[in-house]
Amino acid sequence: MFAWGAVMSAGRRLRLWSLVVEQAHGVPVAVEHVCAAAMSATGVTGAAVMVMLSATPRETVYASDRVARELEELTLTLGEGPGVDAVTGGPVLAADLTASDCLARWPVFAPAAAHVGVRAVFALPLQVGGIRLGVLGLYRARPGVLDRGQLADALVLADTACAVLLDGAQRERLRPEGRRPEQAGPRHPEVHQATGMIMVQLGVGAVAALIRLRAYAYAHDRRLRDVARDVVARRLRFDPGPDGDG
Amino acid sequence: MAELQLGDVFVEMADTLVDDFDVIEFLHVLTERCVHLLGVSAAGILLTDGRDTLQVVAASSERTRLLELFQLQTDQGPCVDCFHTGRPVSVADLPSAGRWPRFAAAAAEVGFAAVHALPMRLRAEVIGALNLFDTDAGALDEGKLRIGQALADVATIGLLQQRAVHRRDVLTEQLQTALNSRVLIEQAKGVLAERLHLDVADAFTLLRNSARSRNRRLSELAQAVVDGSEQIPPAAAPSHPH
Repeated sequence: MFAWGAVMSAGRRLRLWSLVVEQAHGVPVAVEHVCAAAMSATGVTGAAVMVMLSATPRETVYASDRVARELEELTLTLGEGPGVDAVTGGPVLAADLTASDCLARWPVFAPAAAHVGVRAVFALPLQVGGIRLGVLGLYRARPGVLDRGQLADALVLADTACAVLLDGAQRERLRPEGRRPEQAGPRHPEVHQATGMIMVQLGVGAVAALIRLRAYAYAHDRRLRDVARDVVARRLRFDPGPDGDG
Repeated sequence: MAELQLGDVFVEMADTLVDDFDVIEFLHVLTERCVHLLGVSAAGILLTDGRDTLQVVAASSERTRLLELFQLQTDQGPCVDCFHTGRPVSVADLPSAGRWPRFAAAAAEVGFAAVHALPMRLRAEVIGALNLFDTDAGALDEGKLRIGQALADVATIGLLQQRAVHRRDVLTEQLQTALNSRVLIEQAKGVLAERLHLDVADAFTLLRNSARSRNRRLSELAQAVVDGSEQIPPAAAPSHPH
């Protein structure tokens, strides 16, 4: 039997990565290009990325338009809404902000968002286990759910946004040109185990450990899971110090 | 005897469901109970990640080679077929079945001869599969298949965490949260393995035992280990349950 699941998944990832690259028009891929791809793939009218690292308060690093920016500001000022709930939990998919369950859950945010012309909000956490980078917010003037394909696209693009944020600083220096960023999702348990081990080896937090692991894989042109497997098998250690990996 | 055990397990699961429970711990216990009740060698639970792929969330043993075998099934094997058709897939004798060459070879290497996959269904939706391995070739009899399916259904109910899942959106939220908890637990396993010089499988046992003795949810304790707000001393050394 052929591996249909894997083929479909790889096909979706490839199609969406091409879409992101297309949006970038030759410049290095950033979250704004992921947002543009998300708007195109899921038919939403606005998108924004909020980043929240422990050292800094939540900050909107990109908003596609005035409405998206306004919703991000509402979320920040009111301290409620799908974008707040998604930080600590899973995706929050609010298909109609004027529905009673949404009004009950976000009594101030929901009417305020509807007032600026947004009826549906889909907030996808940018997270890798205990690493919580922020939230990808998708906004649409028309109410209604994302269909199964749109939702799958949105989840893949949230993974992409995570990868782009993690690789950010090192991207141009380390990732070989044209190489897709490594997935940040649940797929390979060794990657997450290795992240935990590197945290202890370097005495750093989870996000820094994962960034170092990914940078090492790019710099040595190896697959992330193969490097992770070496770490878990204790064939590779990360040592503190400037660029002192391996 | 088997009847009594089955009753005990359902009472245990029902008790868990009325409490504020940890879904990964719940699924882990369920896979252990599958092994005992169905007389199989290993059990695992795979869930859809909403991106066309299955992911392993719980297994009766965290031994690396077993996890790898479950993981391999996210690409090919009975679980993927079961997930796509929504029907049980049973392979009584893997080597002679001649299907999924890569998976069959990996299963044989670990010593498994038979494999079964039971769908986890929520009305029209298939959300994952319960995967069973046996070292002895042979089919599961009708009675065991029914019990297995009932346990798969209990796993589905556990994932929904008593919330009224009348919309697919809520289901997506729950599944994504469960999958992320699993990633978090892997990270915590890594921290403990490195700090205490343990094998990652033993790190899981330690994490789980510590959560139990502190009356904490497994994912909460994993989060505390990852963000450094809580330490687990080696004193609570792994004692293998059962």
